[in-house]
Formats: sequence, C-alpha cells, structure tokens
Amino acid sequence: MNARNALLGLLLAGLSAAAVADEPAGMAFRVAKVVSMDRSETVHNDAIVLVQGGRITQIGKPGEVTIPEGFTRHEHPEAWLVPGLIDCHNHTAGTLSDLNDMIYQTNPGLNTRAAIEPENDNIKEARTGGVTSVLLIPGSGTNMSGFGTISKTGGKTPDEVIVRSPGSLKIAQSGNPEWYFGGNSRRFMNWNTRQTLLKAKAYHEAWEAFEQGETTVEPAHNPIFEDFRGLFRKEYPASVHTQAYQVLLTTVDMLSLQLGIWTVLDHCTFDAWKVGPIVAASDCWTINGPRQYQFDRTAARMIGNASGWWKNGVRKLGINTDAPVVPQRELSYQATMACWYGWQPYPALKGVTSIPAEALGVYDRVGSIEAGKDADFGIWTGNPLDPRSACLKTIVDGKVVYDAAKSIRRF
Amino acid sequence: MNRHLIRPFNWQVLVGLTLAVLLALPALAQDEDGRRRGKRGRRARSQPTTQASQPTTTSTTTSTSTSTSTTSAESEEEERPAYLAVINGRVHTITDGTLIGATILCKDGVIEAIGGGVRVPDEAEVIDAAGFDVYPGLVACGAGGIHGGGDKRDTTNVFGLNMEIALAGGITTTLSGNDAAKLTYGTTDGLLVRKNVFASLRYSANRPLERARLREDLEKVRDYLRAVQRYTLIKERDEDAEEPDKSEIKGKLDEYLKLLKGERVAIASANEVGDIRALVGLAEQFGFELVIRGATEAWSIAEEPGRAKVSAIVTPRNSTSPDERLNRPSGASIENAAILARHGVPVAVLPASTSITLWGLAGRDLLHLNMEAAFAVRGGMRNDEALRTITIDAARIMRIDDRVGSLEVGKDADLVICDGDILSYMTQVHHTIVNGRVAYAKADSSLYRHIRPAGGPIETDFDDQWPRSLEWSAEDLATTDPAARKKAKEAEKKADEGKEAEKEAAAE
Repeated sequence: MNARNALLGLLLAGLSAAAVADEPAGMAFRVAKVVSMDRSETVHNDAIVLVQGGRITQIGKPGEVTIPEGFTRHEHPEAWLVPGLIDCHNHTAGTLSDLNDMIYQTNPGLNTRAAIEPENDNIKEARTGGVTSVLLIPGSGTNMSGFGTISKTGGKTPDEVIVRSPGSLKIAQSGNPEWYFGGNSRRFMNWNTRQTLLKAKAYHEAWEAFEQGETTVEPAHNPIFEDFRGLFRKEYPASVHTQAYQVLLTTVDMLSLQLGIWTVLDHCTFDAWKVGPIVAASDCWTINGPRQYQFDRTAARMIGNASGWWKNGVRKLGINTDAPVVPQRELSYQATMACWYGWQPYPALKGVTSIPAEALGVYDRVGSIEAGKDADFGIWTGNPLDPRSACLKTIVDGKVVYDAAKSIRRF
Repeated sequence: MNRHLIRPFNWQVLVGLTLAVLLALPALAQDEDGRRRGKRGRRARSQPTTQASQPTTTSTTTSTSTSTSTTSAESEEEERPAYLAVINGRVHTITDGTLIGATILCKDGVIEAIGGGVRVPDEAEVIDAAGFDVYPGLVACGAGGIHGGGDKRDTTNVFGLNMEIALAGGITTTLSGNDAAKLTYGTTDGLLVRKNVFASLRYSANRPLERARLREDLEKVRDYLRAVQRYTLIKERDEDAEEPDKSEIKGKLDEYLKLLKGERVAIASANEVGDIRALVGLAEQFGFELVIRGATEAWSIAEEPGRAKVSAIVTPRNSTSPDERLNRPSGASIENAAILARHGVPVAVLPASTSITLWGLAGRDLLHLNMEAAFAVRGGMRNDEALRTITIDAARIMRIDDRVGSLEVGKDADLVICDGDILSYMTQVHHTIVNGRVAYAKADSSLYRHIRPAGGPIETDFDDQWPRSLEWSAEDLATTDPAARKKAKEAEKKADEGKEAEKEAAAE
C-alpha cells in the first residue's frame, strides 16, 4: 500500500515537473529599436524586451536588463520591434458569409461573436503583415448590422482570441444600406436608425432607473437591446460606416452630440475630410480607409484623405483596410499610402497601433510596448511603413505565431 | 498617304502645296520651340534662386524674339539642335553606377554626354537638380488606358489624365497593347518605340485542344524551316530541287515563323507550376525566346525557367493562396522576383493593376510601379536589383534596351528627377523628361503639387475648403440644444451690436 502510494506520488511529481517544463519560461528579444507608442512616445534604441506569461515584463538596455535563466533568446540586433498592428475595420476574422444578415433595415441584437473563426486563412495571412488585433464587424448592407468582436490573430479557440465582445456596434450610414429594399433615402434611414437607438436608450434608461432604485417596477427584459446598455454606459463604441461629408455631419450630430455615443467614424473617405474642424471639435475617432485619396475633378488634384483630416486639425486619426477589400496583411501599406499622399510617417504608424487601440478602448491591453501589456508585437527589418521592410516575426500573447524563417514567405 | 490624297489635283497644285508646307513648317516649328523656351524662361525668372526645394529650371536662351527677317535665318534657327541639361543631381545610371553631381546633356532627345565637366551649350535649357536624384525613365511591361488602340500616334490622347498620372509615377515607356510606346505628353513625336513587340501564345492545361493546335502549328512551321534549310543546302547540286511551298505559312503561322527564326519573342500568361513547366518545355523544344507573364508559382521551380533563359513579368505582392490539397509548394510568394533573379531569370515587375485608378484605392495601380519594385526588395532583392526590374531589365524583355532603361550616351533622353530614392514611399517625382522634353513637372501640374511641395516629411499644402455652408463654431457644436444654440447666436449678435454702438459713440 505504502509502496503504491509512493509510486503514485512519484508519478504525480513527474507529471507536474513535465507540466512546468512544457510552460516556456519566457522570451527575450534583442532589437535595434523599439517604437513603443506609449503615452510619452518613447523610442528605445538598442533594447531588450522581456516577455513572460503572455505579457511584456521589462524593456531596457542590454546592460540594464538581466535575462532570466531559461528564457528563449531572439536575437535581432538590426530589427525594429513595433506594437502589433490593429485594424478597427475587419470582415475576415470570421466567416465572411456570416456577416450580412439583411433582415430589417436596422438589426439590433445581432453579434459577430458566433462568426469568429480562429486560424482561418485570412487571419494567418494577417499575421504575415504584423497584424495582431482586429475588430470583426458585420457588413454595411443595413443601417445597423449588429455588434462586432475584437479578436486577436493568434489563438486556437474563440475564447482564446476574443479580446472583448461586444467590441463595438456597427452602424452604417448611407453609401451601401440604401440598397436594402432597393432604394431608401437618407431621410428615412436617419429617422429609422435614430428610432432604433432611441428605443435602445429608453430601454437602458428604464433599467438604470430600476437598478438605482428610482423605481420598483422591473422593466421587461429584451435581449435585443441588452448589449446597448454597455454602449450607452460608454463601455464600447459604435463603429460607423460614413463616407461623404454630409454623412459625417449627420453622424457626428446624431450619434456623438445628440445621443452621447462613443463614436468611431470608419471610412471617412471622398471629400469627408472637409468637415475636419467639426470632427476635431467632437469626441469622435476617425479611422480612414480603405480609400486613401480623393480625386477632386474640379481642381484636378489628388487629395490624400488622411492628410486632409490631419490638415484640418483631426489628431485622433487612424487607418483601416476594410479587409478583404484590401488584404488584412497590407494594413501597414495602407498607412504607407496615406504618407505617399501627404501624411507623415510617425502619426501614420500611430494610426495603425495606438490610435485604433484607444479608439476601441483596449489601449490598456494592446497598442503599445509597455511593461504589463499583452505581448503583441512584430519584429520588422525596418520601418513598417516602408514596403521594403519585411515582418520577420509576429508575436501574439507571448507566442510566436509567424516566423518568416520557418515558413514560405507569402508577404 | 499624302500622295494618294493629292492625286486628283494637277502637278502645279501639288508643287504649290508642297512649297507652302515647306515654308510653313520652319515657322511653325520655331513658334512651338520659342513658346516652350519662353515659358521655361518665365518660370525660371519667377522662381527665386534661393529656393532650393525645387529643381530650378533656367534657360539661357535670349533669342526668343520674333525676328522673321529672312528665310535663311529661319532655317538656321530651325536646324539649331534642342539642348537640355540636367545638372548637379545624383545620377543613377543603372548600368554604370551612380554619379554624384554629374551633368546629363541631351541633344535632340538623345543623351549626348554624362559626367563631370560636360560643357553645357549657352542655348541649353537647364534643370538644376542639386539635392535631387536622377533616374532613367521607368519602363512598364504592360499598361492599359494610357495609349490608344491601333496606330498609337493616331489614337493616343497625349493630354490625357492617365498619361499625366503615369508620368507623375516616373513612367516614360510602357508596353501598350503589343507596342512599346512612350508617354510623350503634349506631342505625338517619338511616341512609338517598337511595334509588335511580342508574339502572344496561349498554352494552358485548361485548354487542351488549344495546346494541341499550337504544337501542331509550331511543328508545321518547324518542318517548313527544315525544308528551307535542306533546300538551301542541296539547290546548288540538285537542279530539280523544289523550293518549299510557303503559301500555307501565313497569318498566325507567319508569326510563328518569325518566332522560330528568333525575330520575335513569345509572351504567354502562366501562373501554375504545370503551365509554367509546359511553356518552358515548349520554348526549349522549339527553341524560341519566351516571356512568362504572371509566373505566380515560378519561385518553386525557378531553376527550370532559369536554365531555359526564359524571362518573367511578375507582381511581387500577388496574393494567390496556396492550394492545400497539393503535395508541393504552391501559391504566391513575396520572394518570387528575388528567387527568379537568383536563378538567372530576367525579371520585370508590374503592379497588380496595370491601368490608372481614380476611385481611391491607393498603391495598386500603374502610378505606383516603383512601390511594387519596393515589394520585390521586401522579398529579398537588393535595391539596385529591384530598380533594374522597372528599368533596364524591363526594357531588355521588350527588346528596347538599346533605346531606354538606363542613362547612357546615345540612348533616349528619358529621365526622372525626384526628391529621394525612387523606391521610397516618401519620394515624389518632380520632373519627368521624355525624348529630351519636359513631359511632367510637379510644380506645373495641379495633380500632386500640394503634396510635400518642398520635399521631406512636411505637411501637405493645399487650400482649406472648409467651411462651405455650415458656419457653426466649435462652441455651437458643443451645445446640442437648438434653443441654446439660438440663444448663443443672439447673444453674439447683441455683443456685436454693442461693439458697433461703442465704435459709433467713440467716433462721435
């Protein structure tokens, strides 16, 4: 009996030892430059970044940082370490065919959480471009197509990859949803969207009143509007498909100013940059793309959308791909093109790292290289905005999810 | 053509017309020439010489006066060669290294001299490219929507927007249809470089019948060629020898005859390994020169086209997914261009779209040919190798490298002057020169003038078009209540009235 127990004990001890050995101790990255994108906009030259338990634990000079025993060393003394790129407007982190349920003109209550498909081909491709987080949002076939999901590009199960669900509410102003029923005008669509949001707000306010003891009558439960409570509590934003400048004005006015919704303006293309001063004065975030320029036929000139926004005072400015319109892996190239057409490289790099993280309210976890944040970053041969630079490795949650040296280089 | 039109008239009219044309020609030419020089001269005067941000254009021509004293003076004026000199730039010759501060002297559209200590004639139009990079004009092995169809000199809109945009991308020569043509903005002179560049073949596994027919045709032509060879050998000895019948070798077969004689280069689209391999085999068997367009999976069998001296036109950023069912590497790779070049395959690079797009998706059309070459660097090419894929190697593939693709004495004066490395995304083209003539000048064109006008990463400079009709201030917007907004407006109005009243009082 004793011998049996002892054997069992030994066996258990062996198992736990094996478990410890399976868990990698951590990783140390030696790089030429860390573009941290933290609040003080630090750039560490010749640095070591330590990663443990899926998080960044320390950043410092080679002399200052002691690499603990057992850490895997990644020596890239000539490379840049850049925060994982983040896309606020993605349709490929899940199954594309599951994203456009055009049932009514507005479809509150839908959610892309069920459509998330980790390790799909598009997501694997995204990693080759150093992209680590994307917001999977439903399509713009109707004015309100449901809630999106913020998802990492590394991880095997939905639970592993989801950063936050709901990620944001997708609202589409005109420039697609008018074709529902074969042709609605903006007049009806704005009225209809506002009605849906007002109903949701009323629902939220009724429950707030009940929960704070202002009334004893419990409101009827309505699953369709349940997710809107977080929206009106400003726990997550609305991602709004907007294009021409009139639509931008309606969106700022209706969503941000009248309804007090945390608003992320997506696309913001054509001549929308002309309303820059109004957007700059509001709380809205501007995430431009996939179109990067507007051909002004009257003046015969090519205006870069991002440079138009920037010139008109908008600083909460990011870039998207609208994948698969532009392949998700080319997010950095979208920022490159924004620069070609007149924007500046550093703000453009911010526009695909810290800005989208802040726009979605996940900057406490991703979007910069700081101790305590998720270990999501790319190792690049140089400035990620230069098409000549290649992404060598992509790390998500402290795991190497893409290694150019070990795979056929697609991008 | 002219003779045919004039035939119904009698010979006196013909002589008269000819004389009139002969007399009018020099006058027209001088007028055109003088206007061009005059414009340049004026612009040079209006630009202070201290402004080093633009390559300054100066002209030392003083004789733009409209003196029409004698015919002989006019003809002398006409015969005087047109000189253009680009001085002080970093000259990337492509084939002979980089020359710092060298002068490129162009005479009548041809490069006359390159180097230090080149004497610039007094009458030359001079572009000072100090601080700028000078490259040969870029060559694109494929383009749509820039030149017209048929005879390009008749159908091309030489003031077309697409042409101007492509010039802004530094492109001076393209394969349009099956002709190598230049982007001679504003003139049709020197537009065509080479007609009928390629013999187009289709040889895909998806069309087995077509494959069989092509082989049959090629065999027929080869048999004919052999018969001709035999005939030339025996006709001396054998008087009865019959000359092979050429009557059947016409149309398509005549084209194949040129191909097998080495007078033409074949071009064919192929992306999958099977198709590439079959084409390479066909070229080896029949001994013709071949260019493969697309060549998506060529990286996985690069030694085969390399051995057969086959060339390739590739798009590095091709995103064809691998076929997971196959037990071999498949799909596109960013390393395609680099791997092929390493195996001795001459490579030209083209963007995914070979036309000009105006609808907002950036970086995928012909304008960004240089960016596609930058993606070849991402895939492992060196900068100088990638540059060759859009200059000399592209020209070689089209067999026009005796005229374009590098900066060499005797070659066409096609130049690009830009404010940095042409493979960098922050670089803008400032001048594109085609046949020794400024075809695009950034400062003179409204298209991209506002983008970094002084070079370097500074802000865009264009008119702020806001506000158009809405006149809300930020404070107004902060107040969402229309009543409050109205109140604020009224208060503002009152305050203004008060001020005016004060002013009036003060005046009194």
